[in-house]
Amino acid sequence: MSATATNLGMKDMGISSIGQISIIAHDTSRATAFYRDVLGLPLLFTAGNMAFFDCGGVRLMLGPASSPELDHPSSILYFRVPDIKAAHRRLVEMGVKIEAPPRLIAPMKTYDLWMVGFRDSEGNIMQLMSEVPRT
Amino acid sequence: MNTQEGTTLARIGQIAINVHDVDRATAFYRDVLGLPHLFRAGQLSFFDCGGVRLMLDKAEKPEFDHPSSILYFQVGDIRAAHKRLKDAGAKFEDEPHVIAQMPKYDLWMTFFRDSEGNMLALMSEVPRPA
Repeated sequence: MSATATNLGMKDMGISSIGQISIIAHDTSRATAFYRDVLGLPLLFTAGNMAFFDCGGVRLMLGPASSPELDHPSSILYFRVPDIKAAHRRLVEMGVKIEAPPRLIAPMKTYDLWMVGFRDSEGNIMQLMSEVPRT
Repeated sequence: MNTQEGTTLARIGQIAINVHDVDRATAFYRDVLGLPHLFRAGQLSFFDCGGVRLMLDKAEKPEFDHPSSILYFQVGDIRAAHKRLKDAGAKFEDEPHVIAQMPKYDLWMTFFRDSEGNMLALMSEVPRPA
């Protein structure tokens, strides 16, 4: 364990990263079309009624809930984009439901943090985020 | 969107996780999962997990007050990680097991709950001898 990790109070439980996130989809075909064609994420493979996408090394698993308890909306995932206004325009052109126009969420030390919320085809709220360097 | 400059969804920067007690959840993610705590801002508590920020937050509206998506945390040795987390007080749903046989590796998983009742998982890709 590094000194930095110790300072942060980190115990080595062996967790290195997030490998996968499950997103409940009520219609896997519809959701697959959205994540592939609208969001432009690479489709890795499908297995039965599940579809797997890659987002920068994290796998997104879309599919129906395996039990009623798990049948709830997704956590909000914040997708990084280089140009949030251009990305927002693209979503609007593709007919995506936008929650609110892009806005400055937090002025950080060296950049402004911008976000815009939208809904996927299944009604899940998602966000685009962009760190815009302050000039 | 990947066909146009500037609009590519390159990677996930942050994930929101609903919690009911921010202090209790902060203790769980820090002391049981062992994730580095980045900072606290009011009722928001931020952790790092391999470059992705986890934001623990109380739901603002009833519509948002639902459990987290299942997050699958990568570990090298799933049996050892399962034991460590269990010893640290995590409630497991099952034992580590092979969930899928991929061409080059076996995918192992085991499911557990955080302090807020959210279902989470450990995952490990175990190479199969050639």
